[in-house]
Amino acid sequence: MASTAIRRMAVAALAAAGIVGSMAAQAAEDPIKLGAVYIRSGSASSYGAFAEQGMKLAIEQINDNGGVLGRQLEYEIEDSQGNSGTAIQAMRKLVYQENVDALMGIDSSGVAQGVASTVPQLQTPLIITHAATPDVTGKMCNDYVYRLSVNIVQNMRGAAEIAADSGAKRWTTIGPDYAFGRQSWDFFGQALKEKNPDAELMSETAFPRFGAEEFTPFINSIMDADPDGVLISLWGGDLVNFVRQASDLGFFDQDMEIMFTVGAATEVLDALGEQMPEGVWLGTRYWFDAYDNPTNRDFVAAYKERYDKAPSYNAEGAYAAVYAYKAAMEKAGTTDGPKVAEALSGMSFDSPMGEITFRAGDHQTLVGPTWGKAGPMDDEFGIRSLTDVHVFDGKDVTPAVEETGCSL
Amino acid sequence: MTAFFTALLNSLDIGLLLFVIAVGLNIVFGVLNVINFAHGALYMIGAYLGFSLIAMLGWPFWAALIVAPLGVAALAVVLDRLVLRFIYGREITDSLLLTFALLLVLNESVRMIWGSGIHVVEPPALLAGTLELPGGVLYPVYNLFVIGVGLTMLAGLWALFNRSRVGRIMRAASLDPDMAKALGINTRLVVTGAFAFGAWLAAVGGVVAAPMRAIDPGMGDKIIIESFIVVVIGGLGSFPGALIGALVLGAIHAFGGRYFPEVNMVLPFIGMALVLLVKPNGLMGKGAA
Repeated sequence: MASTAIRRMAVAALAAAGIVGSMAAQAAEDPIKLGAVYIRSGSASSYGAFAEQGMKLAIEQINDNGGVLGRQLEYEIEDSQGNSGTAIQAMRKLVYQENVDALMGIDSSGVAQGVASTVPQLQTPLIITHAATPDVTGKMCNDYVYRLSVNIVQNMRGAAEIAADSGAKRWTTIGPDYAFGRQSWDFFGQALKEKNPDAELMSETAFPRFGAEEFTPFINSIMDADPDGVLISLWGGDLVNFVRQASDLGFFDQDMEIMFTVGAATEVLDALGEQMPEGVWLGTRYWFDAYDNPTNRDFVAAYKERYDKAPSYNAEGAYAAVYAYKAAMEKAGTTDGPKVAEALSGMSFDSPMGEITFRAGDHQTLVGPTWGKAGPMDDEFGIRSLTDVHVFDGKDVTPAVEETGCSL
Repeated sequence: MTAFFTALLNSLDIGLLLFVIAVGLNIVFGVLNVINFAHGALYMIGAYLGFSLIAMLGWPFWAALIVAPLGVAALAVVLDRLVLRFIYGREITDSLLLTFALLLVLNESVRMIWGSGIHVVEPPALLAGTLELPGGVLYPVYNLFVIGVGLTMLAGLWALFNRSRVGRIMRAASLDPDMAKALGINTRLVVTGAFAFGAWLAAVGGVVAAPMRAIDPGMGDKIIIESFIVVVIGGLGSFPGALIGALVLGAIHAFGGRYFPEVNMVLPFIGMALVLLVKPNGLMGKGAA
């Protein structure tokens, strides 16, 4: 009897030793965790879905090539529901419960404004990959918040150049009634006035609420005002609704310059297909066909092979952010939050948009938008192609640090 | 004048579509005493089923308009038997909590089945394009069709509740379930039937909305907010209330967007607040004001 008990204890001790041993071995090889917060429910959830695809692709590629600091990468993703309160909770959960090493994501300008000031408390860096309000790399900037994607000012400076060249004089806007729509119009107006002092910014503007569904009254109201050019900053399902209802009302048959500030989002082009009218200007933070460099070619090819789609700007933003963290963690030699945040400052790394740099003064990357006219259908991806493509250089469209209101 | 006339038509097509959806919410409340938070999700599933039948299986729009709502009604029977029947006699807050949970489950199911992408459905050829009305008003044919559907449903529902035996049974079961039971009416069947009928109405709204709205996983949440505003304005559980509330909200959207495109966002809520100040139970609501 006694011998059986002793034998059992020995087995238990051995097993325990084995567990402890494997735990010690694991600590060195524990994966590095990235935490992402994107919109994963509601009308704009396709943006979150594309971002997750881009993120996953980058992580798989990095893991196949030996990981980061000899450790594998993995990720946790949470739903912001397009709401800053939810996004803050999600970020806390990721940092305190899931113990993620770094944060990325954030789709909406409103959400970005809400979360920016809480990031330093988490002692974990955040790379914003989509939200475009200049405030988070301007008056709300801080040591932990970075933005990889094109912001509103950069995009609107590019847009204003096209608008000035078009010769259209009287401009108005239709945009969602929150930070993104209002700021797009403000910065577009400023930039346009600089380039063409004769341009007129009309007082008849329209700001339907985000998710309005019914745009007919606004379209009629703008058509009555008879502008020469219209800047449209609607996005996601709103943009799809708008284009279909505007087509029905003959909006696109009028002699107007029409500029969709984020119209070349493949999430929207996928949905609309041929219904996106030819000849309108479409802006985007990234266009898969506009960058002729090996990194972009490999990214587009790998994305197509994996998902049978063209990568959207949100997919590219998430993909590039993973590589940005890889570079920053290798530069810092650690995954420690404050050190990685510091390493990002002024760091250059290779992305599908070429080599890009997080400017030390405000943590904004020096990137520019792509604008082009909706052209014939792209048979490979079943979406409109872009013609007359303008890729703006980040250096030309990014305001100096002193102008951003950021002091770091 | 044409601007005014266009806005008037617009308020009718927005309002009557909202009526078809919100009246379902009211019928369910009247008979089951349940405020169905998941009503918008049923509308969304109607639209997605319509999309699957039309765009994926190549069915004609008209066939989808018949079949998809019946599918949603069948789903509603299952939901009623599995979940809702346990809370019939309970407090109204319990039903809000339960149907909110149902909404989350249905929303996520839609995302799992159809993905998070945005989809569009083409209107049938007969209803595509624009019509020039007398006075030079150009109006999309499909939106006129929506007005037609709304008026047809209005007439049909009025006849159902006032002229038919089924309608009278439903009203009896909602007014006094015990007496109805004593008179030999199978109230359980009536209750399940009313829930399925409410779901059917939501889904008809969904299929009708599909050719003019983006189909995405958020469309249900948008419409439930609108429907609640309709019910607050018109009065909970009231049939004429749903009509009046929907037309008022349609007019707020159409005229507000047309003439006050800068401040339109607050208008529905101002309208709602005004009604609550004057008639706390809604314009057609029961009980003392």
